[in-house]
Amino acid sequence: MPERAAAQPSLYSAESADPPALNGGRCRACGYVFFPPQSYGCESCGAPPQHLEPVTLAGRGTLHSFATVHLHQAKGIEAPFTVGVILLDDGPAIRSILTSRTDEGLRAGDRMISTMVPQGRDDQGREVVELRFQKAASDQG
Amino acid sequence: MTRTLIDLRPVYVVGIGLHRYQRLSDTTYVELGLTAVREALADARIPWSEVQSAYTGTALVGMAASRPMLRHLGATGIPMAQVENASASGSTAFRQACLEVASGICDLALAVGVDKPAPVAMAPGKTNLRDLTGARVVPFTHFALLANDYMNRNHVTAEQIAMVAVKNNRNGANNPYAQRQKAVTLDEVMAGPAISGALTRLQCCPVGEGAAAAIVASDDAIARLGIDRNRAVRVIASVTRTERVYREAKNFDAELTGETVAQAYREAGISARDLDVIELHDAFTIEELLYLEAMGLCAPGEGARMIESGAADIGGQCAVSASGGLLAMGHPIGPTGVGQIAEITRQLRGEAGVRQHPNARIGMAHMVGVGAVCVVHILRHD
Repeated sequence: MPERAAAQPSLYSAESADPPALNGGRCRACGYVFFPPQSYGCESCGAPPQHLEPVTLAGRGTLHSFATVHLHQAKGIEAPFTVGVILLDDGPAIRSILTSRTDEGLRAGDRMISTMVPQGRDDQGREVVELRFQKAASDQG
Repeated sequence: MTRTLIDLRPVYVVGIGLHRYQRLSDTTYVELGLTAVREALADARIPWSEVQSAYTGTALVGMAASRPMLRHLGATGIPMAQVENASASGSTAFRQACLEVASGICDLALAVGVDKPAPVAMAPGKTNLRDLTGARVVPFTHFALLANDYMNRNHVTAEQIAMVAVKNNRNGANNPYAQRQKAVTLDEVMAGPAISGALTRLQCCPVGEGAAAAIVASDDAIARLGIDRNRAVRVIASVTRTERVYREAKNFDAELTGETVAQAYREAGISARDLDVIELHDAFTIEELLYLEAMGLCAPGEGARMIESGAADIGGQCAVSASGGLLAMGHPIGPTGVGQIAEITRQLRGEAGVRQHPNARIGMAHMVGVGAVCVVHILRHD
């Protein structure tokens, strides 16, 4: 089976749980949980890097808001595409590209789960996968 | 012991000037800036040689912007510095000018904002922190997400949000300095093109070029130079804050504005109902609703209904974005915050012509910037 590569390896692993988990961070001094991970210092209490530890955030949450982008020129994605704010069950609110191109059928409060979406191949021939979110099936939420 | 602006010696806006905000042209930033500064000097009826300090609010022009522009007024040797604070660059330049005069370090200072659209290196992109969406979420999508949340929570329609653009373009149509000077109907706003979520093109501010200038002075300078006191507008609060970690709220823009404005009200000794005119950061229609609520002009969730009722019109309870706001007057970045001061000064002097809000006495200028920062000034005409 050919190896897969994460589009953003600092944020998630290409071969991880189902649904795919996210790499977050946690401050041991104050308990603040954050995404994306960083090791500069705690934004909430100012604790230095040695108090910050990696934490895995489950790819499950609730849809807070969403917007379909109609006009966009950045490479790698074609409009329309839809962005959602998801309140992860593990704490942080994150923004993710959703698997559906439009917002049809989406409602605030929907249960969401992460999934890997193929994005072509890298220069070593590996399949590049990007973590996105989709509406959970009724038995997945 | 710390003190607030109103505890220091009084500082007044005595001169305002602008170069029209417009699409990118061959005009140099030097010509843009000089036009605004010369107009402000003429408005104050003072010569350049009396100006003792200058701050240039600019984010896009590049390093060392001030002297290559201002030397053409006469190289008097005064201190000059650039101020970059994202969209709040001009507001922050104005604050520095006010603080310098209020502290007694100088008697007469200039804040000028000038910019031309140009590629810019954004520091947040150099932190090595990534997120899942990367460059695919630009400001209009950030605010489209807030618009979606606002509609969900408050049972408000996309048309109700779009009404902000109708009001602000109606005001901008009467402002000779505005980039967009054409009234539009709700149908025209809604007709698109669609940009992101509920936001259509006319619900997103134009980013062009331009310049704005404000001259601030002490009582000593006003007396010494014979400046007309009836046209001097006092700055009674200058407050700036940055984003904190808001654990419960998901809308840091509104939270940051709410706490910055609350501090400004306290320092000025006023409340929301005392405000006659407000210039706020309406880069996108939804922002005007969120900020009016955060400022306490109406109850949470009532912003859209406040706009519909006409309470934010010129002649209403409080004229909001009488200049046309960022949506119609435009948002050339560096000039924007200084241009707000120019509009409020004009309104409080009673010199706003067809845009005049009756009996305007107290006004507030509000800008936010990427980062995130918020800058608020309150002005009063005694």
